[in-house]
Amino acid sequence: MSVVALPHAVTTRRAAPSWLRLLARRRSTLIGLGLVGVALVVGLLAPLLAGDPLRIDVARRLTAPGQAHWFGTDDVGRDVWSRVVYGARLSLLVGAAVVALSFVIGLACGLTAGYYRRLDNPVMRVMDGLMAFPAIILAIALMASLGPSVLNVVVAIGIVYAPRVARIVRGSVLVIRETAYVEAARALGASDVVVVARHVLPNCLSPVIVQASFVFAAAVLTEAALSFLGVGVPPYVPSWGNILAEGRLYLQQAPWLVLYPGGAIMLTIFGLNLLGDGLRDLLDPRLRGVAAERTS
Amino acid sequence: MKTYIARRLLALVPVALVVATVAFTLIHLAPGDPASVIAGPDATAEEVARIQRQLGLDAPFHVQLLRWYGRLVQGDLGQSIFLRRPVLEAIVDRVEPTLLLTLYAMLIAVLVGVPSGVVSARHHNTATDQALMSVALIGISIPNFLLGLLLILAFSVWLGWFPVAGYSPLEYGWLLTLRSLTLPAAALGLVQSALIARIARSAMLDVLREQFIVAGRAKGLAEHTVVYKHALKNAMIATVTVIGISFAILISGSVVVEQVFNIPGLGRLIISAVLRRDYPVIQGVVLCIAGVYMLVNLAIDLSYLLFDPRVRYQ
Repeated sequence: MSVVALPHAVTTRRAAPSWLRLLARRRSTLIGLGLVGVALVVGLLAPLLAGDPLRIDVARRLTAPGQAHWFGTDDVGRDVWSRVVYGARLSLLVGAAVVALSFVIGLACGLTAGYYRRLDNPVMRVMDGLMAFPAIILAIALMASLGPSVLNVVVAIGIVYAPRVARIVRGSVLVIRETAYVEAARALGASDVVVVARHVLPNCLSPVIVQASFVFAAAVLTEAALSFLGVGVPPYVPSWGNILAEGRLYLQQAPWLVLYPGGAIMLTIFGLNLLGDGLRDLLDPRLRGVAAERTS
Repeated sequence: MKTYIARRLLALVPVALVVATVAFTLIHLAPGDPASVIAGPDATAEEVARIQRQLGLDAPFHVQLLRWYGRLVQGDLGQSIFLRRPVLEAIVDRVEPTLLLTLYAMLIAVLVGVPSGVVSARHHNTATDQALMSVALIGISIPNFLLGLLLILAFSVWLGWFPVAGYSPLEYGWLLTLRSLTLPAAALGLVQSALIARIARSAMLDVLREQFIVAGRAKGLAEHTVVYKHALKNAMIATVTVIGISFAILISGSVVVEQVFNIPGLGRLIISAVLRRDYPVIQGVVLCIAGVYMLVNLAIDLSYLLFDPRVRYQ
């Protein structure tokens, strides 16, 4: 992650289709896109695909998968298919929100640290300090203070991953700051805000975009882990981690409580990783093979 | 070389300061007055006041912070509110399973990861390579707690080879301990080995393209000497970094996996503390793990002295 990327040319809007075509050229990336697409569709169309994930039917508790309940029922008779489907919605929501939050904080800190020499040390030392905590430990500690809720999960995981984004951004900014076009803009009298927003920001985006799908994957995993541990979203909320936490107690009688949500997590993360690898090879070929999930 | 070591040690100071401050802030992040949050909704005013005094929350913020640094320097992590004993004692009691689990997992991760990566690089773009890397990619997509549950399902519930959960302390014999930790260590270590394999492979591939490898082959060295002596040693630099990072990930991973297997380690300690809002314990465990993490990172930096002679001349 400490790799310093060279500035890339700004992609024009017209280049978008060929960009997509390039991305789809590799089979593994296509599979990744497909898996993420399926998760996205399932999450968005959850109300159409599944019934009420909260409806309790104690008479039918722990029924095996069958016609009435494709994925079986849990210990209070809730439909596991519905909970897995709504779990997809939650995972995607958390993933997207965490990417947005950590990118806003990370870009702000990274741009400031990279552009203003005097602020570099203080800002980056705080980021280093935050990164000295293993991700899940910091997330658990933050959840302890913030209390269980979906919003707090997003905030906690966002804070955990922001320094990782900041570090990459700073690395690129340090290089971009010294380029001739930044010097030219300054010489023409452009203000710092204009230089950063117009010239620095667009050029430091591509290594960050590569990180987006890895941060997304890490966020989905961390949410599942927090909920599994009982310190994430409240237990009634359909989350893959919550279903697994219940499933742990009924491994012998009801293995479907583990197998289906587990499969959903695996396929989603697998898809995100494939997509991330594809994006990385496309946008930052020099990083091939390295620098992937250092985010974890 | 001395300046390198000194610089690394100095760089730890600001990081440690931030870590200590973040751990301190945890208690103040909670909405509302921390003492009444800790005491719970049914607490009387006296109880709240007692907790306030016990945690020193009645002093101004900056005084609290300075006292906190002072206590940390003396190695005092405070008293647990719920367990009614020093936090450090509670942590020391729980360290054994977490440490053993982490080391065992580390062993599995390195023994599986490094050889797979090297083999994969040696047979670059063959079926072996593709098969190994596909498995590795699936490996990094499984969360460790899920793999743990699947391993229990397969090896404990269906096959009955291992205990479903629980931990047998060292005092009852190390073989029993080993048996109770095998599934959790596999859950942690195998996931991590996938990451190590990917990095080891790409490091090996990078090194194999270097001039000195060509030179070695040109002067007629045996292929295995080129690969296992010259290339491997150079590829170790990147690999050691990842192994170090892995150690940190494994410690925090064991916090999660302990919950799957009911192992009474640091993970169970911090989770039960979170559920009881026992902040001193949360802060203590977080600090200890972050401290170990920092030391491991220092060790990685210093290990470059061994693997990379260029660092020695800085």
